[in-house]
Amino acid sequence: MHEFLNDPVDVAVDFSGLKVRPQKVRWGNQTYDIQKTNLVHGAREGTKRIFYFSVSDNANFMKLRLDTETLEWRLVEVYAV
Amino acid sequence: MRSEKIILHIDFNSFFASVEQQANPFLRGKAIAVAGKGKEAIDVHSIEKKGARVRVDNLPYMRSVITTASREAKAQGIKTAMATWEARRILPSLLIIPGDPRKYSEITSRMMTILRSYADAVEQFSADEAFADITCASGGDYLGATLLGERIRADIKRECGAYCTASIGISNNRLLSKLASESFKPNGFTVVPPEDALAFTASRPLQDFCGIGPRIVKRLESLGVTSIETLRSFPLSRLTHEFKSYGQFLFDAAHGRGSDLVSDDVRDPKSVGHSYTFPSNLLSHAEVRKNLLFLADRVASRMRKHGFASTHLTAYVRYEDFSGTGATKKFKEPICDGLEILENALKLLSPTIEVDRGIRLLGVTASGLTKLQGSFPLLHKESQTRKALRSLDKITARYGSGTWQRASTLSTEFKERVSGWHYDHEA
Repeated sequence: MHEFLNDPVDVAVDFSGLKVRPQKVRWGNQTYDIQKTNLVHGAREGTKRIFYFSVSDNANFMKLRLDTETLEWRLVEVYAV
Repeated sequence: MRSEKIILHIDFNSFFASVEQQANPFLRGKAIAVAGKGKEAIDVHSIEKKGARVRVDNLPYMRSVITTASREAKAQGIKTAMATWEARRILPSLLIIPGDPRKYSEITSRMMTILRSYADAVEQFSADEAFADITCASGGDYLGATLLGERIRADIKRECGAYCTASIGISNNRLLSKLASESFKPNGFTVVPPEDALAFTASRPLQDFCGIGPRIVKRLESLGVTSIETLRSFPLSRLTHEFKSYGQFLFDAAHGRGSDLVSDDVRDPKSVGHSYTFPSNLLSHAEVRKNLLFLADRVASRMRKHGFASTHLTAYVRYEDFSGTGATKKFKEPICDGLEILENALKLLSPTIEVDRGIRLLGVTASGLTKLQGSFPLLHKESQTRKALRSLDKITARYGSGTWQRASTLSTEFKERVSGWHYDHEA
């Protein structure tokens, strides 16, 4: 299953130096323990800075979007085996 | 220390596909391809903005070409620029991934930052390729250059991810360093010191040289030149007679000679253009007008962003059967408004366009770029338009591209390109 979406999610993160790494994602009624952050990339929307976290657990890939202006997290892509 | 330069060429392997496999571990080891458009109307950025929900598995494939195939897909016969229908016919299990230009542009910029941290000068050659002059940084010898190349490779692995591998070539000019990097993929590292240049070039086929394409190869073959060695022994006078000034380039290439100039100067663009291949053919003048306006606004917006207006305009169409028509016009006064570009583009196309034939591609290019004047026009209407455009440009700068759209193009949507030199979102 490969889906593009734009759902609000709750994310628990770990701060390590200047790096932010998602640890848990709560999407709907389920909580996912993130095992790996595979890629972090940024983008600009006008003057706004957005960060994307490509993360995975044993069965799911998730792309999370962090809006640095509103500090809102969104789940924008899911790929499940 | 040598007097000649040492040039490094770096080229990511299966770039877009490797970045996707780096981001999503479940795609690793699989035959995947990033296509110009992928599946029906998937535009990652647009989906996010609209809050839509799109399940990729259920969507039909749309007219597009393969931009990048993963190494697993390449091993099964999938090639860059292949039509998606053809790729799916060869490999029905091929996974076609919608491209994500923002992801790729970040990796490009990380590569450039790494190179700039070491090299004397860096020149980006495409989205996934760059040249670096490492003469001073390497201490002027090939041992230093090799160690530096290894460091760059380690930095790329750390900053971009282990799956984003790159091939590196090092030699004394651009032609040889590119030939070297492309001689061993993926993750290759090839050093060609000048004393090995003749033997190395002789070992490569003609079409591997940057600047010798399939047409040149055919023309050379018709002259009896089938390898670098036969090209080397071919008289320069006959090459220049046949190919004019290009003959000298061919002669030099055969001898392993080429430019060693790496320039990080950012030059002003000579033209700004946009074209779009539609998922299905356009069959009415109203559709042509609407889509042409969308393209014209993009061209105009990019020109104004970089402070230019244009004195030449070219508009062109391509029909279902790949034949096409187009025309160019020169203006006395430079233009930079999308509506003005549209009206002129329509005038250019109207004498020859045959909408009934089905239009698969529309394109608009503005050239003859001149610096945009800060003063406002005297005529009230033009002055008002210029003020409105300035305000719209301010909105775009604050909130990003796609924030405003003309009412008449509301139902028009173009997918961001995942190919070429520049990424749309950076334009």
